[in-house]
Amino acid sequence: MKRRTVIAGVAAAGTAVAAGLYRFTDLFVKRYPPTPYDDLLVQLVDRRQAARLGTHVAGAPDAAHLAAQLRAALKPGSLGVTAEAEVAAGRTMEVDGWVLPQTIAQLSALASKV
Amino acid sequence: MTALIDARTLPTGTVLQTDLAIIGGGPAGIALALSLAGSKLNVVLLESGGMNFDPAIQKMYSGAETGVRYAPLDAGRLRQLGGGTNHWGGWCRPMDAIDFEARDWVPHSGWPISRKTLEPYFPRAQALVEAGPWIYDQKGDADNAAEGSVLPLSGGGLYTSWFQFSKMRGDILPTQFGNRYQDDLKRAPNIKPLLHANVTAIRLGANTKQVEQLDAATLTGKHFTVKPRFVVLACGGIENVRLLLASNDVMKNGIGNQNDLVGRFFADNPIPRDVATVVNFAGPLAPFYGANQNLPDGTIMRATFAPTAQFCRSARVGGSLSTIEQPAELDETGKTAVITTALALGVEASNAKAYSLGCGIELMPDPERRVTLSGEKDALGLPRLKLNMRIADEDFTRFNRTMTELGRQLLASKAGMLRINCHTREDWMTRMDWGHHHLGTTRMSADPKQGVVDADLLVHGMGNLYIAGSGTFPSYSASNPTLNLVALTLRLGDHLKKVMA
Repeated sequence: MKRRTVIAGVAAAGTAVAAGLYRFTDLFVKRYPPTPYDDLLVQLVDRRQAARLGTHVAGAPDAAHLAAQLRAALKPGSLGVTAEAEVAAGRTMEVDGWVLPQTIAQLSALASKV
Repeated sequence: MTALIDARTLPTGTVLQTDLAIIGGGPAGIALALSLAGSKLNVVLLESGGMNFDPAIQKMYSGAETGVRYAPLDAGRLRQLGGGTNHWGGWCRPMDAIDFEARDWVPHSGWPISRKTLEPYFPRAQALVEAGPWIYDQKGDADNAAEGSVLPLSGGGLYTSWFQFSKMRGDILPTQFGNRYQDDLKRAPNIKPLLHANVTAIRLGANTKQVEQLDAATLTGKHFTVKPRFVVLACGGIENVRLLLASNDVMKNGIGNQNDLVGRFFADNPIPRDVATVVNFAGPLAPFYGANQNLPDGTIMRATFAPTAQFCRSARVGGSLSTIEQPAELDETGKTAVITTALALGVEASNAKAYSLGCGIELMPDPERRVTLSGEKDALGLPRLKLNMRIADEDFTRFNRTMTELGRQLLASKAGMLRINCHTREDWMTRMDWGHHHLGTTRMSADPKQGVVDADLLVHGMGNLYIAGSGTFPSYSASNPTLNLVALTLRLGDHLKKVMA
């Protein structure tokens, strides 16, 4: 077999494996089923971790109400900036004892509800 | 050099005439005696114990308790020369200026003196406790910089503050005043230190304003009398109460107790463990947060988190000193909290380290937290004591406000995060320990209706009876009391030199 053919075959196989990993695993990009709140949840780098945390948010309203609150407070791509501003203003919440920026707590609660 | 006199060798019926009798040979009594060494005043120092621990003598401290679980009354105190310094941890920190202020959110607060009044006495007190040069918050950050950086907590309610530690010369232990200063006491020609000398009554003259004599006894059955011009009661915040209340042959409610204040407002510094978990995103904290550090000159220091005066005012919290205890393991929720928050803030936290945080808290003054006489009597016939110990939920909630602020500051500086571990009374009480700082029972106030002693530590209504020690603190601070009570006692020494001249 020609060397060029072997290289092409290995490259094709590698591409196929990578495509499979991309499509069927979280190895490169976390993939979640679509929800009505993806415009908000997309701001969480690791939604699964946040959802685990969110189960501990006490007294959180239902997802629709949470989403409404968050859409009023959170511009696209602004979670970090919003969290910093909240902390500076003293708007923190306790989640299982952890002192968190309010929006991170609420967004985690939303992630836990979808 | 004279010797320490064993009162058991005195003939019964001995009468000792002296200018000043100091009752109690703990840090206050010894500091006061040393401050008068070489003066023209003759001083008798009466210590109930000897040089070493003696269970029979110690048992005279035992008493009853009600209320919140607290250390037994014969624990946390030591009836021997040097008193509590024979088992102290050596933690030293000067009280803050705000500790002396009347704070409208701290009932019954406000000293009749300010920190400025005490400042001239801190250098001598620092020398007596042997805590090294005065560094504390003035130079703590700089002098410890070789070991690492303090956490960036800029612009918030808490800051990194510094303890220094007593270390007895030539020893690894904190300064035990009895061992350390016995030779100084022996060398002073005007000081007569008596061991095994228990004062059993303070006898007033008919005018009720002057102490005329002290009845004293030994456990071996010897009885003798001291006739002093002036008396300083320095037996500690609990035992002082017993002598004042039990000396009730002339004043039926006890000496200095005309306004029913003696024994009220008892306090200690709660030091519950693991009240919070601190996570440092960058990894291990600088070593001075979690362990004592030896500076090149031998000074021992450790960092703690203290609230600023401004934060105390705005958040209406009391004093507290929160100290890293040991590394902690995060549970699954903790890990998700750290991952989620760090990712949202754009902070690298793959090496994050968690630590448990302990604290010392200033309790709010409470008149019902109280020491009274019980019906039991000790080996010398003195009534034993009963303590009604209380701690308010508000003391806990105030401290948690401080923790919330520390958590906020860690987030604001992107340095880390904090978990508050105590939310119920049970959470607190299962973690509870005590500093064994006996405070407040003979509180200081310019107003006789608010305090037992005045700003000079003279018992209200009396002409020649003073009280030394942390029992005179009207509010308590979170700083460990020894350095501060020694400074206050040295001030009393200067006062006595003037009034007794």
